[in-house]
Amino acid sequence: MVIAHPAGRQRMIVTLALCAGVAALTLVSLGIGPVALSPTTILHALFGGGGDVQRIIVLEIRLPRAILAIVIGGILGLSGAALQGLVRNPLASPSLFGAPQAAAFGAVLLIALGWADIHSFALPVAAILAAFTSVFVLLVIAGRDTSLLILILAGLAISALAGAATSLTMNLSSNPFAALEIAFWLLGSLEDRSFRHVALALPFIAAGAATLMSQRHAFRTLSLGEEAALSLGVNVGRLRLWTILGVALGIGGAVAVSGAIGFIGLVAPHLMRPLIGYDPSRLLVPSALTGAVLLLAADIAVRVIPSTSDIKVGVLTALIGVPFFLYLIVRERRALGGGVA
Amino acid sequence: MSRLSRPHLFRNAIRADFAARSIDLAAAVLAFAIGIVTLAHAADPPRVASINLCTDQLLMALADPAQIVGLSPYSRDAVRSHAADEAKNYRRLSGEAEDVLILGPDVVVATPYTKHATRELLKQQGMRVAEFDVAKSIDDVKDQIRRMGDLVRHPDRAEMQIARLDAAIARARKATARKRYQVLALSRRGWVSGADSLASTLLSATGLTNAASRLGIRYGGFAKLETIVAARPDLILISDGSNIAEDQGSALLLHPALEKMYPPSRRIIVPEDLTVCGGPMLADALERLVAELERIGGL
Repeated sequence: MVIAHPAGRQRMIVTLALCAGVAALTLVSLGIGPVALSPTTILHALFGGGGDVQRIIVLEIRLPRAILAIVIGGILGLSGAALQGLVRNPLASPSLFGAPQAAAFGAVLLIALGWADIHSFALPVAAILAAFTSVFVLLVIAGRDTSLLILILAGLAISALAGAATSLTMNLSSNPFAALEIAFWLLGSLEDRSFRHVALALPFIAAGAATLMSQRHAFRTLSLGEEAALSLGVNVGRLRLWTILGVALGIGGAVAVSGAIGFIGLVAPHLMRPLIGYDPSRLLVPSALTGAVLLLAADIAVRVIPSTSDIKVGVLTALIGVPFFLYLIVRERRALGGGVA
Repeated sequence: MSRLSRPHLFRNAIRADFAARSIDLAAAVLAFAIGIVTLAHAADPPRVASINLCTDQLLMALADPAQIVGLSPYSRDAVRSHAADEAKNYRRLSGEAEDVLILGPDVVVATPYTKHATRELLKQQGMRVAEFDVAKSIDDVKDQIRRMGDLVRHPDRAEMQIARLDAAIARARKATARKRYQVLALSRRGWVSGADSLASTLLSATGLTNAASRLGIRYGGFAKLETIVAARPDLILISDGSNIAEDQGSALLLHPALEKMYPPSRRIIVPEDLTVCGGPMLADALERLVAELERIGGL
């Protein structure tokens, strides 16, 4: 059995520890909010007991928020690991490819045109189409044997363009509250979501996750190099397309309810590599769990940090993610220097 | 060189001084002439331009159509402008200084809170800018109606509108709810109108209590969804009864937690255009409030 293998056992322990972490943080997330509720009240409410008010607070306000943090954090981590496996590049991630920003633009455009309201299924679909386009264009621009530098520059350009387009669309729409709404779409938040939002995002996120997981063996083969993968029967072109589709489904579904939350997809696989190893196929699930842990923790932190107005969770993930990204760039400086170094 | 140029400079300075004095004199003469012209025209009712949604409403209610030079860009907004249809008969201004300067109204009306640069620029160019503060009570509203009436020289109309408002208040008081309901005036993103607002004045005029203080909100502020649910006000006052949310901010009012505790039978709906500004439309707002209380069976 694989589990008997020492490396296999370590993976198992890490995965179980991550699951325990998700469970523990979920309980913390259910316990924290502007209204103080005791742990026993929360447990009562979870199983349908307790007063009306307590039940509504726990089941209708806090539970959907925790579920969204797990699911969205998970798909962000998974997408990051899959993209890093696909381009064999540790700096790949949905947000550096501009996918969440593009998805936000798709959703905002649809609302601005008046074709859908905020609870419509058309919203994730538009976000998915936009995310697909952005990642597809990026990989086309970057080409096959791409250098890190080109990927990062192209990703930067696409996310800047999508962010500007989102702001402009909101400004041109008749919504007088555009400024606040722009902040939401570009920074992301899980505040006051409901099960309506869970129902909106979950099917797409699940489909995206399934798509990415189905390609896990191809990622492993691809890590031997494109030539080797081709000779072992992996259709690299098709793998690319499936990966882009999976990422777009997941990110589009997530962004349609949370706005663009960045950097979790970048950080999660890196945290797991020293513990799990470099096999991209085995990195997928732990990265997803790490993503869930990170977003749950960030979403708890925005509620705990005292502030006069609510802090956007995307602000926090960027505050942690960007220094990490800079550290990665320093580490990868030689590779980024390309031919010159 | 420099020694030579000095007396020359001095002479020039004297000349410049003389020139300046003669310009001053000319200006004084001109100002006097303009004064006479202005006096001659004083009998004409002033032409007024509005660069704010709320002054738009006051102006349309009180001025003659010929007096209205133009209205703010939001004057035609069907959601927020009470007289949006009527506003289509007038020029729609950009809200900036340029078109106002070209049109040259006698008075520009605005609020002291927005468009600071525009107002300063207009004043610098010699325009008369009348500022109308945000109304926070019925008395504020009456003062503003009176002031605008004097400004457009139709004080009689102002008194009529005030009488209509008083009558509406009296009717509302008569129809006062038997139970003093705790009502939370809730807007997008969980904004709650505080005790110091027009909304709470309207509530107390109908015998209702603003529940904002229960949430620890005095002058208006954002309330968390959980806090609202936990405070359990009897009713919520919102501006939109539709179940479509055009953005995340308005989606809050359709959150299942709120919908469960506040089904339509516990929501009072008074459209935004009736309450966003302090003006004669408050009479309609009061009537609407009473009608809504009747609908939910509170009277």
